Amino acid sequence: MSEQTDTSWQPSASDFAPKPKHQTADVITRPAMSYWQDAWRRLKENKRALFSLYLIFGLITFTLAGPHLWTIDPSAQDLDQIGMAPGADRNVTIAPAYQPWYGPTSDVIYADDNPLGLVLVGDATSQAVRLAWQETGLGAGQTNYGYKIYRTLFALNVGDAFGLPLMETQNHYFEDRLDLQPTDYYYTVVALDKQGVETDQSTTIQISVKRVITMLEAQKRGLTQNKTVAEGDQIKLALHPFGTDYLGRDMLARLIYGGQVSLFIGIFAPLLYVLLGVIYGSIAGFLGGAVDQLMMRFADFAVALPFLLFMILLKVIFGIGPGESGVLPMLVAMVILLWPAPARLVRGQILQIREEGYINASKLLGASTNYLVLRHMIPNTMGVILVTITFQVPSAIFTEAFLSFIGMGVAPPTPSWGSMCNDGIKSMLTRPHELFFPALFISITVLAFNLLGDGLRDALDARMRNRE
Amino acid sequence: MSSKSPQKSATSANSLSRQLGLYFFIAIVLVAGLLFALNQLAGLMGTATQEAQAVDFANNSISAVLREEPPQLDSSKATDSTSGLVLGHIMEGLLRMDLQDRLSPAIAERWEVSPTHATFWLRKDAKWSDGKPITAADFIFAWQLALKPETGSEYASLLYPIENAEAINRGELPASALGVNAPDPHTLVVALSRPIAFFDKMVVFPTFLPVREDFYNATQGRFGADAKDLLYSGPYVIKSWVHGASMLLERNPHYWDNNRGKLAQINFAYITSDATATLNFFKDERIALARLQAENLTEALRLKWPIRRFADGTVFYLEFNHREGRLSRNLNFRKAIQHVLDMEELVYKVTKLPGYLPGKSLFPDWLIGVEKTLREEYPASTVNVNSTKAKAYLALAQEELGLAEFPEITLLTSDNPVSNIQSEWLQEVLKQTLGLTIKIDKQIFKQRLAKMGAGEFGLLLGGWGPDYNDPLTYGDLFASWNLNNRGRYSSAKMDALINTAQNATATPDRMQAFGAIQQQIFDDVVILPMYERGVTYVVHPQLKGVKRRVIGAETDYTYAYIDPDA
Repeated sequence: MSEQTDTSWQPSASDFAPKPKHQTADVITRPAMSYWQDAWRRLKENKRALFSLYLIFGLITFTLAGPHLWTIDPSAQDLDQIGMAPGADRNVTIAPAYQPWYGPTSDVIYADDNPLGLVLVGDATSQAVRLAWQETGLGAGQTNYGYKIYRTLFALNVGDAFGLPLMETQNHYFEDRLDLQPTDYYYTVVALDKQGVETDQSTTIQISVKRVITMLEAQKRGLTQNKTVAEGDQIKLALHPFGTDYLGRDMLARLIYGGQVSLFIGIFAPLLYVLLGVIYGSIAGFLGGAVDQLMMRFADFAVALPFLLFMILLKVIFGIGPGESGVLPMLVAMVILLWPAPARLVRGQILQIREEGYINASKLLGASTNYLVLRHMIPNTMGVILVTITFQVPSAIFTEAFLSFIGMGVAPPTPSWGSMCNDGIKSMLTRPHELFFPALFISITVLAFNLLGDGLRDALDARMRNRE
Repeated sequence: MSSKSPQKSATSANSLSRQLGLYFFIAIVLVAGLLFALNQLAGLMGTATQEAQAVDFANNSISAVLREEPPQLDSSKATDSTSGLVLGHIMEGLLRMDLQDRLSPAIAERWEVSPTHATFWLRKDAKWSDGKPITAADFIFAWQLALKPETGSEYASLLYPIENAEAINRGELPASALGVNAPDPHTLVVALSRPIAFFDKMVVFPTFLPVREDFYNATQGRFGADAKDLLYSGPYVIKSWVHGASMLLERNPHYWDNNRGKLAQINFAYITSDATATLNFFKDERIALARLQAENLTEALRLKWPIRRFADGTVFYLEFNHREGRLSRNLNFRKAIQHVLDMEELVYKVTKLPGYLPGKSLFPDWLIGVEKTLREEYPASTVNVNSTKAKAYLALAQEELGLAEFPEITLLTSDNPVSNIQSEWLQEVLKQTLGLTIKIDKQIFKQRLAKMGAGEFGLLLGGWGPDYNDPLTYGDLFASWNLNNRGRYSSAKMDALINTAQNATATPDRMQAFGAIQQQIFDDVVILPMYERGVTYVVHPQLKGVKRRVIGAETDYTYAYIDPDA
């Protein structure tokens, strides 16, 4: 601080007195930060990684707290709502129990606007659609050669195929009970000739089916909610926010329970085999020399073992019969086959650190092996280890999904995201939600762990420390 | 390490982006080049392996799909419908069913059945695929082979109407004692152990197909295992059989009947039971005939394909293991299960396949009795689903068995979408109502047959397709001596009823016996009938003359031809 232009200043004796001891010089400081604080700070700045972290916490909460909040049994089958898409209409009318039908009574009034007089008898409900028609316009003495009944979901134009053949019958009535959904159907009755070939005498009628449930069923499924209901009343079927699968099982409950399996494998397997790899790799790296050579050649051997084959062998060794869960052998197979990759990584790191100057300095100062390992080696490899774990998680989730997809994983009725995909892919075209949701959850989880791993790698990289 | 500092730092970003652009360009060119090269390579390979084409008029060939890989094609051991389908194309026996499902001459020109004997006169121009004539000795050898205990043929009991057959099968007599002889190479005389009116209908079945002794011995135990280990008597021969992948049939040049085998080649290009894959193959015109499943029905309706339906005559049922020490040996346990399973729910709501009928009886709806259908004359008893009763039966069973808790029960099933749905439904229903834990054991076909034979199951999803057109084809299934009685059910009453059904000659007596068998199965809960199968399928419009059969080859292409104008 010099003010050369100002000449008014006159030095006094006090100006030459020494500064008091307690007074410190002005320094520019910032709070001291440990490695972890710094890493956390940089991770927080990475919006994607932070979001992924929250997402992962969210998913774990979803699978762990889910069963307490959404208390529906994932294997309970709601046969009234098979393959329902989310948000489908849930209204249902209470109807009397199904009674077998042996043809129309004599008071049926046949339609006069079609050649067969085809009419709907009674109500068209999801229990049954009953059709009746008259003899075709054949001459006297000619016999009835039978009829063929078709059903389709799409309006028919002239020349179109009639759709799904339901039955060939000699009768003049037909009862359809096959998978009736609350929608419009087009029923066609075609008269057959003597050889059983279709004639050009056919009639198509459009029928809207109403969904019904019997009182007994409604009570059994707890749909009446202790209200007194009577036949003809409208109630609502059980709610399935994510729809149901091919057996009417609740998709949300299955996703929650499936997530438990998928995340369990996805998180525990990498933790275990990375830990094993870290121990193995650090021993090899620390001891070095012939021991290192021997240990690493063994790791090379382990890499060459085929995973799927081991999975099958372990199932046999564990005495896991068909129809039992293969999750445990899956975990063990992963642990005993996938450790070499982290082991190699850690060994490389340790070898590098071993030759660093500060290690030699510590050794000269008399540091023990324990001190060297705990104070220097492990903290310096921690970043690498953490990043490895986060990148191994998605691959483990994928492995689980793949194995369950090919039927090597969980046993029915236990769901896992992979096995749900396997089930859903069969009806991908007609009921896409059965494949979409589990696939979405796998994708989100895998993406979240990948982004988090990416962020962690940047955050934990010691060379990037103190950089903005 | 030299310390070269970046001097042209201003231009380095520019050059970097240019370099990146160049790399990107090179990468794109390389990928495009690679794709082109692969495509060319695939084209070259295509001429060698021949890509599947639904209908190929120029080569007079069609492609189709086989649902399962046949375990082997030894006619004396074959039991499954896929083997039956292939054998129906590559082999011919004494008689066969024609297009109208009437019995018609095949290798036998004419035949006669008397109460004591059946005589077949063989045609002289019938030849094996190596050009040698088919003689009566080939039939005798085949039947003796099927009966030898060491062969272990599950269908040996079909041959029991022949004199001494049963004793040979039990190992009590040598195979040469079989009551069949050949006065000359083209006459076959069969001595019958008991009068059997429909013996001529029975010889249509694969177990009665001929096998030539010198060829059989030359294969050294590998007979039927591969294309080269088979000698063909039918309109087609297997040109190549890639196990688990495909099978190519080609017309047999030595086959005598010009009316059959119009197609030069039948290429079973894929072996899969995957409904979506099958539908996509059909959509892409890779196969000429595709079965529809519940999942792809809507798609087929939307595309407005002409859909056909055919009741294939097969009855499916839940079999119990009646062996010593098994839970399901207990009658009350079986009754408990009988009272919880609603087969109408299964058929109409769960499997949702068109053409299926809820199972009521072992005897399907279409079997003819005395005048009307058997089921009209002898209506099947049914129970109503009643969980209270079921629980009471289960409690009784628990007491009788002295169990604190029921162990897990294994349900053996095949690994296909329909069985998967059914077994999961069964698992849930039994758990919800009875608290039983069911373990699903999905097995591929070969393995499942092996486990069924060895009795390694608690419950079994089984089925039975008719072998000949008489209720007995179902009726004798649960005889104590029948190897197809997988649960080894054994009761003196059942055996006596089956004996009556087999030996009585008057139709009303036999039908009464079948009615009693039906009642016995219901009373003793030998099995639980689940459903009668119907098949819904689509066919390529140019392919004509495909015959769907209840008995024999389920899909028969031997009369099929291509109509290019359709």
